[in-house]
Amino acid sequence: MAQQRVSKDTSHLYDGKVVRSSAPSRKALAAKMTGGSTEIPKDAIPDVHIPSFVESLFGGPLIPKMKFLPADKMVQTLQMWSGAVMIMLGVLTYIVTPVSGTAWFSFSEMIGVEVLGLAIHLLLVLSAIGCGFWGIFSRDSRFILISYVLFIVVSFRFAASKVSFEWLVFEDELIQKIALVAYAVLLVMYIELTNGVIRFSMLDTSIRTGEVYVMNVKKVLTKYHISLVITPLIAAAVATITLLFKDVISGAVGIFSEITALRLEESVELESVYGVALGTMIVFLLVAVVFVADLPGRYQKMREGISSTDE
Amino acid sequence: MAWSRKSAMFGSLAIALYLLGLTLRNHQLVTVAVVLLSFLTWAALRAAHADVSASGRRMEERVDEEAGVSLSRLEAMRKLSTARVFEDGTVDVTLKIQNMSPLSKVLEVRDSLPEVMRIKQGANYILMELGPRRETVIEYTAECPLRGFYTVGPVCIRIQDSFGLFHKEKELHVYDDFLVFPKTEDLKDAFVKSKVPKIFTGAVNIRQPGPGSEFYNLREYIAGDPMKSINWSAYARTGKLMVNERERDAVSDIILILDSRAVAETGPVSRNSLVYGTRGAASLASFFLARRDSVGLVSYSDEILSVDRDTGKKQLYVILTKLAGAMARGSTPMQVVTNRILPHINKGSPIIILSCLEDDPTIVAAVRDLRARDFDTTILSPSSLEFEFDARRLDRTGYEVLKTERDILISELRGLGAFVMDWEPDMMLSTALAGARGF
Repeated sequence: MAQQRVSKDTSHLYDGKVVRSSAPSRKALAAKMTGGSTEIPKDAIPDVHIPSFVESLFGGPLIPKMKFLPADKMVQTLQMWSGAVMIMLGVLTYIVTPVSGTAWFSFSEMIGVEVLGLAIHLLLVLSAIGCGFWGIFSRDSRFILISYVLFIVVSFRFAASKVSFEWLVFEDELIQKIALVAYAVLLVMYIELTNGVIRFSMLDTSIRTGEVYVMNVKKVLTKYHISLVITPLIAAAVATITLLFKDVISGAVGIFSEITALRLEESVELESVYGVALGTMIVFLLVAVVFVADLPGRYQKMREGISSTDE
Repeated sequence: MAWSRKSAMFGSLAIALYLLGLTLRNHQLVTVAVVLLSFLTWAALRAAHADVSASGRRMEERVDEEAGVSLSRLEAMRKLSTARVFEDGTVDVTLKIQNMSPLSKVLEVRDSLPEVMRIKQGANYILMELGPRRETVIEYTAECPLRGFYTVGPVCIRIQDSFGLFHKEKELHVYDDFLVFPKTEDLKDAFVKSKVPKIFTGAVNIRQPGPGSEFYNLREYIAGDPMKSINWSAYARTGKLMVNERERDAVSDIILILDSRAVAETGPVSRNSLVYGTRGAASLASFFLARRDSVGLVSYSDEILSVDRDTGKKQLYVILTKLAGAMARGSTPMQVVTNRILPHINKGSPIIILSCLEDDPTIVAAVRDLRARDFDTTILSPSSLEFEFDARRLDRTGYEVLKTERDILISELRGLGAFVMDWEPDMMLSTALAGARGF
């Protein structure tokens, strides 16, 4: 009885793969290697990221290189806020940072083209805004970082002891100081909001790719929004007390001696940055006392309902 | 309380601006520095709840409260859908997080999974707002692509301020162990027969038709039956072609020898000789035990581990557990293994060796010993050369040279009377077994 010869093609059995029961042709396999060179193929070498000097210094990449999915409503809102804060910051920066005393002003004076200093100053502010806009809306951390640096560099100048604005003159010293505090708070809020744009873009991408699951996302965001309002107010209050330290201390001393209070009020040293330094020292000394006394811890324990016997 | 990179950079910037401001007598810089410091201090005050170092307590007290008060009233419980699963199977994890505190908390929770496991459904990383005295259940499904003993846990919890400046972390030491068995392939036939059937004490009468020596049944001839099995007297009686069926011989003992030396792990993590060896051994054990044979396992690495011959489903799980835990290490030569086990194996029992046949100068001598004692020896050899070549880690010249050496070795082993099969990575086990027997 003649037996039917079985086909050697087994692809119908194993998901399209031909499975051999005999030894395969080594030469045929080897011939599949392209190029004919003995070099190690690129994809055979695993990707090893060697940190740069800066990265090793900061313990990781300074700027995250994550690719984001299109911005959702939460990120878009943050972008709008960041843009608004940046414009206000740009205007205030121009007001509170006069060109006199800057390195570029000295240079332009030296070469006898004073308008060049002003042009560079304006260019720095506009560049900071331009980079900021590009960074915020394309969510590119590099441009945001350049924007921070430019906003800070603009205010690098040798200044007089007293607060002086060149572009706008405030008669009232208090308004002058409030403008200064507003500038500082806006700068910090700008840094925080733009950082928030990147942070929430990362979170949003992680949520949408399924890496992270978020429960009660609205409550999480509400807490962030509340902090965005409260924290700058606290920081502004502390900065105002520090800047008005001269008035605070003369008011306190005035209870005991009016003459001493007047002397303190007219003190040049207290009016200068060294007076602010003294104020900072005293304010943060009080903060240190709060930490040492563990007052926040005690308050937290009280809120958590943990008594001392529970410890 | 731990500082993030952001807070560290804020702090450094604040100090730098402050000092620069004093040097340049610049109010703007000093004010920015003061606002930055205030920003940081406020965040620290909110995050540093009952910071232990600030409270000046002793180290031993710190152990209980290492993460501070805010994380002390969180608890976790975990439940796994199964404690044993085969490769490529899934485990459903249910994690319950309880907040015993009267305050709501924004938490980042990550359930630590072994690196090789993949999340198939859900997420093991959750950001959540957990209300006061509330609990929540997190469910996810993890896929287990590789055999082994695994532990899920601990549960890492992080609490941080809204700006991500300071955080506190705590590990809840909740662990759950589970086992991933090597996956098995359904085999129709292993082509392995004992030369000494059913003469040993305890041999099992399996009462099934198949190749054997004792008469079992008479049935009608069907196309393909060998002519020699036709019962001519029955044909004369009935006028129909009848054939004799024989009772399949029970293979008394099957010994599986698994090579789990360090060299067996050469190749990619999921495609190497050890992975194929364990899957092959699991499939063979499952097949032979289902046939009511007695199966034993010997695994050699830096030591020789053996599972005594036995039958039944319990034996299958004993073997699968041993295979799940097989680790690639050491370089015990094959001959040491054969010398150790030969006195304890019944003569003529089939021995199936699953080895890459590499880096062992004693392999020929060991197989010669086995054949000299008339053991039916089958060698299934998953070649690390193929795995390395497929992963493009081996160049053509190196592959050709090593392959030639390997072919010579295989020819030599075949010359000793062993059934050797070069097990290709894409080849089914049944095909490899058939190939070893020359089918």
